[in-house]
Amino acid sequence: MSDTSPAKTQETTSSAENAVELIDVTKRFGAFVANEAVNLRVKRGEIHAIIGENGAGKTTLMNILFGLLQPDEGRIVLNGKETVVTDPATAIDAGLGMVHQHFKLVPSLSVADNVFLGMEIRRNGLIDHAAQVEKTRELSERFGLKVEPQERVSLLSVGIEQRIEILKVLARGARTIILDEPTAVLTPQESRELFQTLRGFVADGMTVIFISHHLEEVMEVSDTVTVLRHGKHVATRPTAELSKDDLVRMMVGRDVSFDRRQRTKTSREVVLDVNNLWARDERRLPALRDASFTVRAGEIVGIAGVAGNGQTELAEVLAGLRPASHGSAMLKGRDLTALTPAAIRQAGLAHVPGDRMVRGVDGSASISSNLLMGRQFKAPWSRNGVLDWKGVAKQAVEMIKRFDIRARGPEDTVKRLSGGNIQKVVLAREFTNDADFLLIDQPTRGVDIGAQESIHDEIMRQRAAGRAVLVISVQLDELLTLADRILVMFNGRIMGEVEGDSADSERIGMMMAGLNANSAASEVAA
Amino acid sequence: MEVLDKLLNVALLVATLRTTAPILLVALGGSFTTKAGIFNIGLEGQMLVGAFFAVLGSIWSGSALIGVACGIAAALVFALAFAVLVVSFRANEVVVGLALNILAGGMTISLMKAIFGTRGSIVGQKIVGLPKVQIPGARDLLGSWAPLISGYTPMVYVAFIAVPLLVLFYKRTRLGLYIRVVGEKPEAAEALGISITRVRYTASLLCGLLAGLAGAHLSLGYITMFTENMSSGRGFMAVAILIFSAGDPLKVLAGCLLFGFADAFSLRLQTFGFPSYLILAVPYLVALVALFALSYRSRPRIIRETLESMKKMLSVETKPAETGSNHPR
Repeated sequence: MSDTSPAKTQETTSSAENAVELIDVTKRFGAFVANEAVNLRVKRGEIHAIIGENGAGKTTLMNILFGLLQPDEGRIVLNGKETVVTDPATAIDAGLGMVHQHFKLVPSLSVADNVFLGMEIRRNGLIDHAAQVEKTRELSERFGLKVEPQERVSLLSVGIEQRIEILKVLARGARTIILDEPTAVLTPQESRELFQTLRGFVADGMTVIFISHHLEEVMEVSDTVTVLRHGKHVATRPTAELSKDDLVRMMVGRDVSFDRRQRTKTSREVVLDVNNLWARDERRLPALRDASFTVRAGEIVGIAGVAGNGQTELAEVLAGLRPASHGSAMLKGRDLTALTPAAIRQAGLAHVPGDRMVRGVDGSASISSNLLMGRQFKAPWSRNGVLDWKGVAKQAVEMIKRFDIRARGPEDTVKRLSGGNIQKVVLAREFTNDADFLLIDQPTRGVDIGAQESIHDEIMRQRAAGRAVLVISVQLDELLTLADRILVMFNGRIMGEVEGDSADSERIGMMMAGLNANSAASEVAA
Repeated sequence: MEVLDKLLNVALLVATLRTTAPILLVALGGSFTTKAGIFNIGLEGQMLVGAFFAVLGSIWSGSALIGVACGIAAALVFALAFAVLVVSFRANEVVVGLALNILAGGMTISLMKAIFGTRGSIVGQKIVGLPKVQIPGARDLLGSWAPLISGYTPMVYVAFIAVPLLVLFYKRTRLGLYIRVVGEKPEAAEALGISITRVRYTASLLCGLLAGLAGAHLSLGYITMFTENMSSGRGFMAVAILIFSAGDPLKVLAGCLLFGFADAFSLRLQTFGFPSYLILAVPYLVALVALFALSYRSRPRIIRETLESMKKMLSVETKPAETGSNHPR
């Protein structure tokens, strides 16, 4: 790699000014090389972003640093001292702290109990809850992470849960904090608050390592960027020297376009007409409140919002998987809320579910079986009510080619594929049903950038073919790329609608946080 | 009125507490495993071997205390076997629990045959039972209500004192906290370096300890004998109580008291000449009704959802034939 030279030159500088150094770290899982001779130098007092596609080896590298995995080769130097990090306890002792992507909080315990779990303050052998509350309050005030120490975690929002995770790390005396995809679950505003906090840490002399594949954030918050690709170190550069396009090129190894897709405006007939739709969640509370909107043929409508604001319920009601408590959803004149899932599909729905492993595929079945599902009674998949496996295989081979599914063949087991390829199996099945209405929940969740682009291409092709498309996504960029109109959901309600051409993420972000369109607009103006 | 007096009096309350004690002990034991996230249906078997070996130890040593220790040791061996299979080897909890229960039943019968040459039960003067504890001054203080707090065998006190201790244990001790965390969010425990395996083993052994005590209480408490299958479903009843209490000590106490009361009440009814097979079913009926009542809140939804999906099916079926005469508007 020719790009490694900046990193090489740092070797001559005093290593004591580096909080973390990984030298020629290699990690193999069987024949698969997750990290190959990776070098990483993180200077003390900087925000260092590590970026790369899924499977580029970011998380593996951090797990090695934190002692959750052992490297096959290479050395780790922490604060100028060579250290063998045998387990997380060693890493914590050396002043490292890690905030995992999936929070590990105990819902029934209080904030303070969670912060001090594993290092409880005890008096006379009993846990001293009062002291823990006091200490948590101190930490929270000192670092500007607002929490209520006595509250139960089960009642708190995701943003606050993340604060608790950070407090946990701080309570253990961490001076170098590793965050694995910290903004994936946050609203743009919450993300900004987090960045503020991180800058505060750095100003305090602490060091932050920040894993992300969200390029805007990396550009916004980091001082230095390290790019990994296919387990190899590509480059380490000061962020200021780089553009977003440079980063994408380094991550993917080629040019990828995420500009807004070109389109011609159409105004055709309404395919889906949703009126005053309500639905309840598992706790019988209203989760979808009074949603009304339309989707026309040849149009992509996007639903934006932080996860858990009623999007899932909306998708489930439209797919017939959840009863509506009130209202109607007319698909070409038929009310979906009175139909079974099979009848809705008959009426013209194709559904790409949000959780592909649960509702999208049967992981233990072959690709061709998965592509067959739902149309086993139709030609060319079956004849006279008997499956034609030859025909099934032929269709599967065609679809694998058309959707660029990377697999050994049509009989490959689906769960062995990568997330992106599994998603393509779902898309291949749903997009070839000639349905008039496509409901796509999280089209590219867990899919890497190269595959994202081809999925977006396919969605645009469906639009051009005159389908009505409803895309639900927690990734705002994706909606800005694809949608003709964007509806923003908050707390089960549609807060407002913006045109895709004139949408700006600031205004949408306000609505995602629950401010209505008008006041959001005026705040932006102010 | 006279009938009521005869039915409900101090003696009935005393009997309630007495019959509650063994099931409370074993259910509190199960609370450890429940909280640690293990579904332990092996309680019955642990209790049974506890009862058998308590009698055996008592006969051999001539001491009730050593008898209790033997009962506990036997229950701990079963608890350990359960933990090895379930925690270390990840075997299915229900299968292992059932297997150990069957083993306990068969083993006690064959050992009885081998050692005493009898079937059915072990009785005799050589079994030393637990003494009754008289609380000094209880009679002066409470008069005719004194039997409420005085004159039980030791395990009854142990059982009821264990309830507040367990509340404190889960709230204020590190082990108690870790047991809860391991049961509720194992990945959180793992991330903090708490050994899930060690905590689950500990919980399992604590469970064995209390189940052993419960067994010893059965065979060395009010009656000093061992009979085949002497635990007679108390372990399973404890499992049912645990499912609905989620292992919370106070709720466990409430559930056990309900069952104990039903048991004592049915014994009382026998004196009125009702057929005994009906009366013996009373505690189980009460338990069933109570469990239905507790789960009542979730029941209407099941019914409603079934109805709704049926309605949906029907409306889809009938839609093409809207002009048909089957469904006049």
